[in-house]
Amino acid sequence: MSGSLEFPGAPTARPLSRKIRDAANGVDFNRFRFWLQVGFFILLVYGGFAGIDLGGRLPTFSCVYNGEGRPGMCYLAPLQHQLAMPWQRLFGEAGIAVLTGFGVFFLWFIVLNKGWCGFVCPLGTIQDWITAVRRRLGMRFARYSDATFERLSWIKYLLLALMLLIPLGIGAGYVSHDMSAPYCMICPARLIVPSFAGDFRQWVVDFSSPSKLALTSLGALTTGTFLIGSTVKKRFWCFFCPMSAFHYLLSKPAAFRLVKDGGKCTRCGDCYGVCDLQIKEIADDVKNPQIMMDDCIVCLKCVAACPEDGALKATFAGLTVFESTEAGFIKRMEKGATT
Amino acid sequence: MNGPFKPAKPILAAAAPAPASTVVAKSNEPLPFGKTKQAREAEKALNHIVDDFDDNPKAMAYFYDLFRRVYCRGESIERDGALIGTTCIQAPEELVYALGATPVRLCNGSYHYDQIGAEFMPAKSCSLVKATLGMLTSEDPVPRIGKMNLVVNPTTCDQKKKASALMQEMGHEVFDLELPNVKESEASRVYWRRSVREFAEALRKVTGKRLTRKNLKAALARTQRAEKAFRVMDGFRKASPSVFLGKDAFLVVNAYFFDDLDRWCEAVEMLNVELQQRHDTAVRAAQKKAPRIVFTGSPPIFPNLKLPLLIERAGGVVVSDETCSANRMLYDMTAVDEWLVNDMVDSLADKYLKPCTCPIFTKNDDRRRRLLELVSKFQADGVVYQAFAGCQVYEMEQRSVARTLNDAGIPMLYVETDYSPDDEGQLSTRVEAFLESIKTRKRMRQ
Amino acid sequence: MTYFGGLDIGSTAIKVVVIDSAGKLVGEHVTATGSLFYKNAKEAFETLLARLGLRRDEVGYLIATGYGRKLYKEADDSISEITANGIGAHEVGKAFGGVGTIINIGGQDSKAIRIDSMGGVTNFVMNDKCAAGTGRFLDVAARNLEIGLDELGDYHFRAVAGPLDINSTCTVFAESEIIGLLANGHGKGEIISGIHASIAKRTVRLAKKVGLEDRIYFDGGPALNKGLVAAIQEELGREMVVPEHPQTTTAFGAAVLARSEYLADAEDRLAGRKAEAQAKAVLAEVAANANCGTGCTAGGCATHGA
Repeated sequence: MSGSLEFPGAPTARPLSRKIRDAANGVDFNRFRFWLQVGFFILLVYGGFAGIDLGGRLPTFSCVYNGEGRPGMCYLAPLQHQLAMPWQRLFGEAGIAVLTGFGVFFLWFIVLNKGWCGFVCPLGTIQDWITAVRRRLGMRFARYSDATFERLSWIKYLLLALMLLIPLGIGAGYVSHDMSAPYCMICPARLIVPSFAGDFRQWVVDFSSPSKLALTSLGALTTGTFLIGSTVKKRFWCFFCPMSAFHYLLSKPAAFRLVKDGGKCTRCGDCYGVCDLQIKEIADDVKNPQIMMDDCIVCLKCVAACPEDGALKATFAGLTVFESTEAGFIKRMEKGATT
Repeated sequence: MNGPFKPAKPILAAAAPAPASTVVAKSNEPLPFGKTKQAREAEKALNHIVDDFDDNPKAMAYFYDLFRRVYCRGESIERDGALIGTTCIQAPEELVYALGATPVRLCNGSYHYDQIGAEFMPAKSCSLVKATLGMLTSEDPVPRIGKMNLVVNPTTCDQKKKASALMQEMGHEVFDLELPNVKESEASRVYWRRSVREFAEALRKVTGKRLTRKNLKAALARTQRAEKAFRVMDGFRKASPSVFLGKDAFLVVNAYFFDDLDRWCEAVEMLNVELQQRHDTAVRAAQKKAPRIVFTGSPPIFPNLKLPLLIERAGGVVVSDETCSANRMLYDMTAVDEWLVNDMVDSLADKYLKPCTCPIFTKNDDRRRRLLELVSKFQADGVVYQAFAGCQVYEMEQRSVARTLNDAGIPMLYVETDYSPDDEGQLSTRVEAFLESIKTRKRMRQ
Repeated sequence: MTYFGGLDIGSTAIKVVVIDSAGKLVGEHVTATGSLFYKNAKEAFETLLARLGLRRDEVGYLIATGYGRKLYKEADDSISEITANGIGAHEVGKAFGGVGTIINIGGQDSKAIRIDSMGGVTNFVMNDKCAAGTGRFLDVAARNLEIGLDELGDYHFRAVAGPLDINSTCTVFAESEIIGLLANGHGKGEIISGIHASIAKRTVRLAKKVGLEDRIYFDGGPALNKGLVAAIQEELGREMVVPEHPQTTTAFGAAVLARSEYLADAEDRLAGRKAEAQAKAVLAEVAANANCGTGCTAGGCATHGA
């Protein structure tokens, strides 16, 4: 520690591991993330065309309704279908299959934790693209007030609960089958993701039964809200997403983590300023090292925007993968101000 | 127990009455500025800064020369465009630069102006406020920055707040920049963001220009350069023993108050190159055993660098500080997500408010944490806490800071002082006793 | 035999102390500072040396402390009176079971010092802005009552009624108050015990800022005044350790430090010399084995003979 100066323009006599770390921490983060998101988008929206099959337990919106393009399925669809089985089967012979299904999903999930949201999810990527267009047009973005934030933050848990309870209701015979896969019906991904593969068949309202009518109308409404919301608010849908809530509830043993060293934090709020989800704790909480909140999509914009060495870190199985550095911060902000 | 520098010039000799001036002025003509008491005060301070220490970095000559020209010879430093005076670092200078104006920080460190201010300020007032007001009420004050178009006065401590009306009476155009006294709440963030926008509006009226993406980005790029240069310079003080002395660091940032921004950046960048060379060739500014001190509290402003100088002349080295005339001016950097005017203005506003460790806020958690982090980062042995007599906020925070440092096993010296030069003997006793106790403690540990 | 000296140049009195190489007190001397304190300090030191029959060069190390320490260039080093007082009180306090807090009332200032178990200063507060509660106050009082400084203690204990309240916070104004009380027929004893009570209150208030948990050591010139000691002890609610020569504790501390600095220096030099001797031996060995392998030269080879 003593005598080792870390600052821009430090002497070049550094060990290789050091050089790799410094290069990683000084990366042009926005560009890096952009291209990673493009790559995953292509995989998850068109991968099926190349014959890729990653199974039906993916922890991200690789939408089922994108029948040909998807390289595997978003777990929520098969989960809702499984839960809608008659209870005798569900809690009987099919129980093991349900549990192993969940197990596979869990294993996929804990690798990236909520990083699936920030780097992989196609719906998330689409929102980021809409945001980029808005920025290009010079429009300002909207923020929730603290009170509104509090009032709306439980919606994702409500949607998660309904997503699990309604299928169970179907399985018990209390709810009509027309209500099957209720979340999929209202998820904007159902309409939007297949469109990217040229499939617009979901852009209809189904009049065949009252339940279907209600659900598909609701789906049209949520999609419309999604499109308008994403235009004015960064990552609009993620705040309400039941997959996000589901992830958070399972996130304790995850390998990929967002860690904060409160002692180094100057409470400058730079991280909060760039956070798409308006998460206050990232700036204000200086006691808790596990700083990933339920809304966090682990996009790591906060780490890239923090000017204090080592205050925020993304770690994988305890190893630091990306950390906030003064030098990296300066490089990124210089680029922003001069281009 | 003196350091590597030449033995300190006898302090008491300076307290002897100055010899009568041999220049006999004609009855109506004022003395040239260089011969005034005010210039002599600045010259004395500058001589201590330069001559009491061996081997000053060559690049510091720019700064020594700057202060000599401005404070000792009274050279004019007028600049083109609107001139906006600020009384606190909370006034976002990026907005000023963006609109083609020049900000200049008015906080004053001269005992001469302190005495003038004392004529109309209450007896128990803060020296800094008295000096600033004393300067503003004087005709042709030094530094000679020229006529100001606007003075922006953030509503911080009581005395500065009330100074607003006094400044208006003196004939200055004053803008009250509304700063909240609580910084944790959402309400204060929203309030402050709005205040900053109103400030931008006031600037528009003065300069006739609007904020655009282009000019604001350019302004941010310029201040970023200054912040980066500062951080690099500051980084050299982490080395043990330090490559760079506190008295020079204070002088460099004090120059930022009034120097041309781009020229200042260039000078600091050259200084950094030299400091890098010194670091690589193991040239050190202080002895290995010199106690490393973090300086906190009421800001030392040239020529009142009395206490940091005393510490370094007594063999200590000020490796870091938590004051608004040095570290806090340039340390915090702005992160912008979307480089559009609104996001930039909001990000700027947040940067000024959220990390601020000024004692005018209700809670001082961030200040205490900052001090602990600085002590750790710069491997300091102790903290010297300066409070100007009359500065209630710093005086009141002393206890909680002392408790926090005590609990962490870090020794702290609390010193109450003002701008008058006659307490140097008392201060040196305290400072020396403090440094001696640190050396003893270090020796015991080995 | 090497001796070590401590010279405390205070604002009112100059104190000199000489100790021997075992750290034992050999002699001390107290004289007024006057206006020409450099000259008076020099004379005080010379006087003590003469009395003890010592030459200047027999004093291996001299440390100056106190208000005028920087101007006495002949000293080998200077330290603040706070550090010196801490060391002195620690040493003397050992005989009483160790002390933790020092209350010092000087000619023009008063201080409270907290020390740790090794005599190192951990905290201190000083009152050097105001003469109330210092030796100067007692001077003024004694003068107004037309008695000697050394009589203050006796008068204190002769008081019949309780101590009078002295309300003035300023020494100068207290003078008028004292004269007024005398004129009203109050007794000197009561006035003096009132003055002592006033000083005691002020002093204890100051001392509380550093903490009064451990044994308290009281020194400085005014500690010779038994009446003042009694008043402070009453204000504290317990007894203090008062040494036989309270005025010279600080100078004694400086002398003790002089001795340990000299010894540490000597050890370093000795270690240096040892290292030097070792280095010499190694180099000699290397030189002796030179020329081997490069062919025997005219100078001869140590290994293979001439």
